[in-house]
Amino acid sequence: MSIRVAAVADIHLGEAQRGSYRPHLEGIEERADVLLVGGDLTRHGTLDEGKIVAEEFRGLPVPVVFVLGNHDYHSDVEEEIIAVLREAGGIVLDDTAETLLGGRLGVAGGKGFGGGFAGKSASEFGEPETKAFVRHTREIADRWRVALKSLDTEYRMVLSHYSPVKETLHGEPPEIYPFLGSYLLAEAVDAEGADLIVHGHAHAGTEKGMTPGGIRVRNVALPVLRRAYATYCLGSEEC
Amino acid sequence: MDTPHYVAARVQQALAEDGRTNELGIRVDVRGDQLFLRGQVTGDDQRHLLTEVAQEAAPGLTVHNEVTCVEVRDPGEEEQL
Ligand SMILES: [Fe+2]
Ligand SMILES: [Fe+2]
Repeated sequence: MSIRVAAVADIHLGEAQRGSYRPHLEGIEERADVLLVGGDLTRHGTLDEGKIVAEEFRGLPVPVVFVLGNHDYHSDVEEEIIAVLREAGGIVLDDTAETLLGGRLGVAGGKGFGGGFAGKSASEFGEPETKAFVRHTREIADRWRVALKSLDTEYRMVLSHYSPVKETLHGEPPEIYPFLGSYLLAEAVDAEGADLIVHGHAHAGTEKGMTPGGIRVRNVALPVLRRAYATYCLGSEEC
Repeated sequence: MDTPHYVAARVQQALAEDGRTNELGIRVDVRGDQLFLRGQVTGDDQRHLLTEVAQEAAPGLTVHNEVTCVEVRDPGEEEQL
């Protein structure tokens, strides 16, 4: 049986947007079995903004899975933001995996990171700062492999903030691609297999792309979608 | 007088790093004494803050804020994968 996945990212809620996103989620259970939210939940990454986000998604009739984005790290309270999202009933992935819908869907992921794309990417070489940047992405990709391996479900998805591929960045200045994602993320998912990868972060990017291994990638950043969320049907039968 | 190129870079950094905005995707162009902001934000309050921060980072220039607010429409059609 097919499943329906709703996804959005980069909602960037601040004090002025309190209560503004919730009305768009009305009736989501008619359209989707699960909602994935791909980071940049807040603007400045404060705990107050984190609480606004948590209230926005509290008590929805479908499970909600979050990862954080770079904005959610800005005030160094990411752990506290994760805690308030969980307290409100959300599932938060931090390079981990979760099984949902009675074992039918597995979602792995986390915020991801940058570094660039094959042939034009940064390497773990030279100054400690450069090495640390690239190592951060490499370690994340390694944890995603472990997370994906742990899933034994009918469908498998990856939720990220940063992009695993270039295609969904189309529209962004190529000079900043290394700050928008890394091929190491796609390589990890291609090695373990998944049905779909969703990400955000690239506000000026494009919705649809694919990994070199043929896994569909969707950039669900709100400014790209221009709609409350996208809905994808996984499976051979129509939803 | 500052080179327009560096003024634009300074304003873009200010928009990203100033705690009022933290807005990373804004395009900044300087033409003579006119400064143009382009891009998208998620709230109208954020648009006004961009003008404020840009004006402080480039005093003496006239700021034209052409940034738009993302409109959120209904979810629409699903995609079969
Ligand atoms: Fe964002
Ligand atoms: Fe981001």
